[in-house]
Amino acid sequence: MTGSFQRRLECEFEARRAANPRYSLRAFAVSLAADHSTLSQVLRGVRPVPASSIRRWGRRLGLSEEEVAAYIAAQHLRDEGERSRETELAHWSAEALAIIEQPEHWHVYQAAASGSFEGDSRSLAERAGVPIDAVNIALARLLRLGLVVTASDGRWRATGTPAAHPAEFRTLALARIRERQWRTP
Amino acid sequence: MAHPVTQFQILSKDPDATARFCEALFGWRIDAGNPMGYRRIDTGSSEGIQGGIWPAPPQASAFVQLFIAVEDAAQKSAEAQELGAKLLIPPTRLPEGDEMAVLLDPQGMPFVLWRRAGSAAATSR
Repeated sequence: MTGSFQRRLECEFEARRAANPRYSLRAFAVSLAADHSTLSQVLRGVRPVPASSIRRWGRRLGLSEEEVAAYIAAQHLRDEGERSRETELAHWSAEALAIIEQPEHWHVYQAAASGSFEGDSRSLAERAGVPIDAVNIALARLLRLGLVVTASDGRWRATGTPAAHPAEFRTLALARIRERQWRTP
Repeated sequence: MAHPVTQFQILSKDPDATARFCEALFGWRIDAGNPMGYRRIDTGSSEGIQGGIWPAPPQASAFVQLFIAVEDAAQKSAEAQELGAKLLIPPTRLPEGDEMAVLLDPQGMPFVLWRRAGSAAATSR
């Protein structure tokens, strides 16, 4: 949404130029009671429009208070790229914290590494004393991270050299998370 | 082979609450009596498709996934990636012999490639 008021200004300027090919940016700035070079930078996308300018210029453009409020609100929204980066960061942080804080990941991994796990989350949950949904969430996470896979005989196994104890497993899993995070565009 | 949508899956922050809601509102029967505790939904109708409920990861909001039938989850998964999909969960064999892979399509929508136990590619392995 960033730049939506800038686009409104562009449209207005283009409309005025269409009506009068000699209409200049300087004339547009005068009509808005704006500084010419500031307006030029705004239109080129070099600088954002502060809320105070949206209010002032919006009134000069004949916008209603509601329209001005909508443009100000839109200006405060983060752009898509920033939102996407934040979502990715939140995702990978949640993955990392889950590995650190929830021992069921180690239980699932250990069972897969021992070759005894066949996806029977229920019995694993009973042995570990955790809810079956927690085991299934852990299982899906370990699959996403490529730390466990299934063989054609239906048995699950740990990938690579299996970690021998919980701390080693956490180190391995967090390193895998970092790899995936870096790979995310 | 055609690739019909064979199942829907609700990813829920609270699977038990979702199950209770669906049972109360739609009269769906939900059975988790299987090794993974997967809550299978029987809508009680031969129309449409059946479904299931799976716990959503804490960082995700609730959403619905479609299961699309394939003969070979690994091959279709590779084709999907060539077309811009992103692999989330590689082809994985489940306890009852079904196979699934989870991907994000190029627009970021998750979907499941699903091969039922006993289908051609499964028996040829």
